Amino acid sequence: MSAATRKPGGGRLVALILLTVPLAVYAFLYLMPIGSVLSLSLDNGALGESLSHIRAADPADRDAQAAALIADMQAMEPGRQAEVARELNQEMSGFRTLFLKTARASDGIEPTLAGLVVADPRWGEEKYWQVIRQNAAPITWRHYQRATGLVVDDDGRITAGGDDIYLQIMGRTLVIAVQVTLVTLLISYPLAYAVANAPRRLAAFVLVAVLLSFWTSILVRTTAWVILLQTAGLVNTFLIWTGLVDEPVQLIFNRFGAIVAMTHVLLPFAIIPMMNVMRTIPKSQVDASRSLGAGPVESFLRVYFPQTLRGVGVGGGTVFILALGFYITPALTGGPKDQMLSFYIADFVKRALNWGMASALSVLLLAMVLALVALFGLVRWLSARQGGRA
Amino acid sequence: MSRAIFWVSTVLALLFLVVPLALVMPLAFNGSSFLTYPMEGFSLKWFEEVFTEGNWVRAFGNSLKVALGTTAVALVIGGLAATGLMLTGRWLQIVLTGLFVSPMIVPSIVIGVAFAYSFGRMGLSGSYAGLVLSHSILAAPLVFLSILTSLRGLDPDLDLAAASLGASRGQRFRHVTLPLAAPGFAAGALFAFTTSFDEVVVALFVASPDSLTLPVALFAGLRDRLQPTLVVVALLLSLISFAFLWLMARLQRLNAPQKP
Repeated sequence: MSAATRKPGGGRLVALILLTVPLAVYAFLYLMPIGSVLSLSLDNGALGESLSHIRAADPADRDAQAAALIADMQAMEPGRQAEVARELNQEMSGFRTLFLKTARASDGIEPTLAGLVVADPRWGEEKYWQVIRQNAAPITWRHYQRATGLVVDDDGRITAGGDDIYLQIMGRTLVIAVQVTLVTLLISYPLAYAVANAPRRLAAFVLVAVLLSFWTSILVRTTAWVILLQTAGLVNTFLIWTGLVDEPVQLIFNRFGAIVAMTHVLLPFAIIPMMNVMRTIPKSQVDASRSLGAGPVESFLRVYFPQTLRGVGVGGGTVFILALGFYITPALTGGPKDQMLSFYIADFVKRALNWGMASALSVLLLAMVLALVALFGLVRWLSARQGGRA
Repeated sequence: MSRAIFWVSTVLALLFLVVPLALVMPLAFNGSSFLTYPMEGFSLKWFEEVFTEGNWVRAFGNSLKVALGTTAVALVIGGLAATGLMLTGRWLQIVLTGLFVSPMIVPSIVIGVAFAYSFGRMGLSGSYAGLVLSHSILAAPLVFLSILTSLRGLDPDLDLAAASLGASRGQRFRHVTLPLAAPGFAAGALFAFTTSFDEVVVALFVASPDSLTLPVALFAGLRDRLQPTLVVVALLLSLISFAFLWLMARLQRLNAPQKP
């Protein structure tokens, strides 16, 4: 018990002063940026601000809507017109030319539906108006609709009629994370066991190897795999030299390369928690079970292994969560069909400049990770409670 | 039989862990530009190329500057957070610990998007300050945890003894707590430096071509064309990591006698 807790008033004041700086930094440089991702994913950007007349117009009155659209177009600067056209085009291809052509001629168009149809017959089609109406609000669900493949029809019902490419990518991300976690656990277990139970020399050697690997950066270890697995790389040279294959095998830019490299990179994150749990298990327990007549396999399976499950859970959970959001290793070793959610998030930011989609996918990824963390916390809490009772 | 299973699985797993890096690193000294064996003579020409090429040298300098800046900022944030936390009540401690540690859970790609957008609006994108601040958020949880661990390990009677001798709160912190918790601060500094020095994803979103860090340059090189210079950079990066691991081990040995 420190002096501070005996004098709560003064302690609290000092704590408040000390905590002000870190709390302010976290609020402005961490919580606010994360919050802006959330709001970006719902923000309708240029569309919401620019289509204010449409938003106010009576949706049943076609002529009023036509007049509102023309008024909105006239209120926009040419740069804004181009941006709105681009965003509408993301919703329906062909909208860019229609919107820009109409906007450029808007001063000469009679502000009725008939006037617009004369300017371009496509305005007679209801589907264009539907897109415009859906995107006139300041808040939009369209990024999430596109991410999940759900569509809202005219009656406001949600149906799974859209393109489900991002759902497939999310499924693939989960599958790859599960595959990597299983392989990682399989390889980590003997190594963690060796650190805790092998003769001293071997245990020390394995521990040094694990720590060196843990401290070597993920990118460096990925570099090693890229160089090993390339078509003219070491592994292929070796395979051809032994005569196992006649021509180079494709080992990288596919699922195999991605899983091998990710597993290698994530190994230490599984080994270290397992090792810490195994070190606390007394060796005498297995000896006792052997002396009571159990064979080595039975002693392992019934006495040793169940006690290591806590470490396996922590290690596996850590690897799974890291694998879900992994970017650099799969980006460098996977093929187009092995890219995970993070790749598409980066692609939307870097190449397509579509912040809305990048944010929506980020929010979905973060939600998956947080749900898993909450699940692990619940499992730990429940098992701790059970352990306390037993 | 069970011993055979133990040895075979341990050796295979160990080979998988160690061999890839052990095989690739010597290629930095290869005489030819092929990244495979047999090596064609021993040569330092790829090292020379890295050390004389402006891009690599500049990236190395940027990384060093950013990592040093991050170490300083993260030490202040993490140190204040940990020392302040020790003075609060139990429930507030749980909530604040959750907040201060949470950047470790958020996928770095999400943090990258968040910083790319926010820093763009604040006019910080591509700047040295932007890189340092974003890396500080990633490093602060590690500094916070290592300082908190060493503060919690201190014997509270020492603080009481100093108080009974009339030392004020500030004096006790400066002359009792800080020297005893120094290894925690040092470990936090090492964590912060390596976190920043090895970081790729967030830097990829925040750095501009002028403020490119070494890992970002290596990442771009790997996507572009495989050359022996990339192995040289990877080797240098891992040597720096090993130096830090060694420092960390020294630090733990220094710290060990104090533990009961």
